[in-house]
Amino acid sequence: MLQPIWGDIAIPFTLLLAWLLGELGRRTLGISRITSYGFVGIIIAIILRVSQSFFQVDDLWSLTLLAQIAFGLLLFELGYRVNLGWPRRNPWLALSAVTEAVATFVAVFFVTRFFEFDIVSSLLLAALITATSPLTILPVVNELRSSGQVTERTLHLSAINCVLAIVAFNAIVGYRVLENTGTLFNAVWNSFIVLLVSAGLGMLFGVALPRLLRIAHADEKQSTVAFALGITALTLVTHSLHFSPILATLTFGLTARHHRDVRHQAQPNFGSLGDMLIIVLFVHIGSRLQPEAFVPGLLLAVALLATRYAAKSLVMLMFARVSGLSIRKALLTGVALLPTASFGILLLELAAQQGLDFSGAFAVMGGLLLVVDILSPMILRYTLIAAGETGKGV
Amino acid sequence: MGVELELQLIDPTGLDLTNTAPDLLHLLERKPFPGDVKPEMTESMIEISTDVQTDYDGLLAQLRDIRDVLVTAGDKLNVRIAGGGTHAFQHWSEQAIVNKPRYQQLSDLYGYLAKQFTVFGQHVHIGCESANSALFLLHSLNRYLPHFIALSASSPYFQGEDTLFDSARLNSVFAFPLSGRAPFVLDWEVFENGYFRKMEATGVVSSMKDFYWDIRPKPEFGTIELRVCDTPLTVERAAALACYLQSLCSYLLTNADPAPNEDDYLVYNFNRFQACRFGLDGMVVDPRNNRSLSLREDILQTLDKVQLHAGRLGCRAALDDIRRILAEGNHASFLRRRFADCRNVKGVVDAAVHAFRGDAS
Repeated sequence: MLQPIWGDIAIPFTLLLAWLLGELGRRTLGISRITSYGFVGIIIAIILRVSQSFFQVDDLWSLTLLAQIAFGLLLFELGYRVNLGWPRRNPWLALSAVTEAVATFVAVFFVTRFFEFDIVSSLLLAALITATSPLTILPVVNELRSSGQVTERTLHLSAINCVLAIVAFNAIVGYRVLENTGTLFNAVWNSFIVLLVSAGLGMLFGVALPRLLRIAHADEKQSTVAFALGITALTLVTHSLHFSPILATLTFGLTARHHRDVRHQAQPNFGSLGDMLIIVLFVHIGSRLQPEAFVPGLLLAVALLATRYAAKSLVMLMFARVSGLSIRKALLTGVALLPTASFGILLLELAAQQGLDFSGAFAVMGGLLLVVDILSPMILRYTLIAAGETGKGV
Repeated sequence: MGVELELQLIDPTGLDLTNTAPDLLHLLERKPFPGDVKPEMTESMIEISTDVQTDYDGLLAQLRDIRDVLVTAGDKLNVRIAGGGTHAFQHWSEQAIVNKPRYQQLSDLYGYLAKQFTVFGQHVHIGCESANSALFLLHSLNRYLPHFIALSASSPYFQGEDTLFDSARLNSVFAFPLSGRAPFVLDWEVFENGYFRKMEATGVVSSMKDFYWDIRPKPEFGTIELRVCDTPLTVERAAALACYLQSLCSYLLTNADPAPNEDDYLVYNFNRFQACRFGLDGMVVDPRNNRSLSLREDILQTLDKVQLHAGRLGCRAALDDIRRILAEGNHASFLRRRFADCRNVKGVVDAAVHAFRGDAS
């Protein structure tokens, strides 16, 4: 009797509390807002774990769909910020992006094998941990209005990482499906076809929506509304049909950028709508913490973080000079590429909705890696300040 | 002659100014640069300068080389370069002052004016045979200043709005206490040991750099420096303006015009305002005969007067470009036409970026 009421009440009030703590944390302690939201989510995770001991908790807490829409907005914006002409004009940048992704993948694979994960799990974790999560990067970049090489390279490398991670992840999902069902058709469908259709839908939206905006003579506010509706539609469609809303919305952003008309651009961060949905997203991510896996997985998480940081930073340093970057900014870019878990967790959630069991990977991503992700906005803030790339005289 | 251009650094996504001067300068340091490049007051600006040039072809070739190097370096860093006297929609509060002692000092002294000084000008140096001829030219040029303001005007938009000025940039310059015009002195000894020493003694200035006059002497270069031009959208326009000034100075040094006197400055501020506000459609007053005439008309008459000098200096092509401006309008008009097409200030910045690269827009 109490459960439905609890569910209807708890969620909005928790989000309001998160907003309040975010503002207070920012003004009094200088903590990034999204870090505060994430910590509220962590507290929810602990409460839910404790509650399960006393009574059955089913769907008491579910922000998954809203979080996916919020994720879609961020991915769209990431895609929109990516200038595909840049890697073309600076091939060393493109090479550095692919090299750091491959280096990270290989290094993480061997670390997880050392910790006695099986091959498929190691490949899966390597794919997930290669990605640099844009969830914590974009809001900080927008808040600080930062611009410069650390900012631009972090965003572009994050986008390239994410695409490569999604492709690798889907290939592994396909293999897992083949293992489970023995059917090649299902395996190909869940990997290759999913990627193709998701990217195709994203491109379709990316071509169609800018045209609609031109026809409607939409200004910036209305363009923001239209893009938000488009992203919501695309997320819901791909989600319902078990395609990849992540790839679809990222491709949507990339394509819309290519077809853009400067008259019809969305507001950065989608204005107030984005601000509200970010609260949802980070409370949700924080609530994915796996408290029972935290301590047992500590050593592994430290090893993965160190390996990841080393691989990415070394590659940044290797390509610094030829790609036009200073050594100092190459090192700072390595730090800025720190966050990873939040992206991986959302990918895993989508796979779980298709009935695939990746609980082992969830346990790894939901431990220290998640906590570091939630702290990463503050790390990124200081990194961008150290790089001298913040606006407003920050 | 020599040309300095202050240029905008633009983020290609949002088309706002981007604080990437340190990154760009770091990259440019690695290879020889066809001129000179250095930081400016804020990190979204750089300044380039040419070598000493004597004719239009040489100046234009060097400016084009500089442009090509800048565009290539910018492409490598995902940064765009643009001309224009102002950025159409930047907000001054978001600019970062360059971390060098002189700029930090200026920022401490002038407060928000320092950040509002995120405006972009073209400065033209003309070499003079003597200090006295420099002062003679400086004051002889005063009545022609509106020409250069109107021809170069490329700053109709400021903080997202049409200011109705062709050159809104100069309003930012005029706010500084040491802006305006030089005192009417034609003898360098009197100027240096009289006026300048007195100003130095007050502690208000320590060098010529502290004066933000429309034209100022530059003793260390042996030049006068014309500072009223907006940075044009193209290097071709910048070369044309510099050569027009060169031809005009050559003409003035023949004493063909009446000698300058203090009364010339009676209408100085008014004429300057007309040029800033109305561009080529402005009406200027000749203080010698109190006659009003349009700037277009005045420039056309002047072009006829200096034609011979332009020929001797190899600058005829430059004057042809000036005539084209009179027929087609200045860059402020171009930017307004672009706004009329797209109804968005971002489109104005986009047009400026493409114009600088030499793309057809």
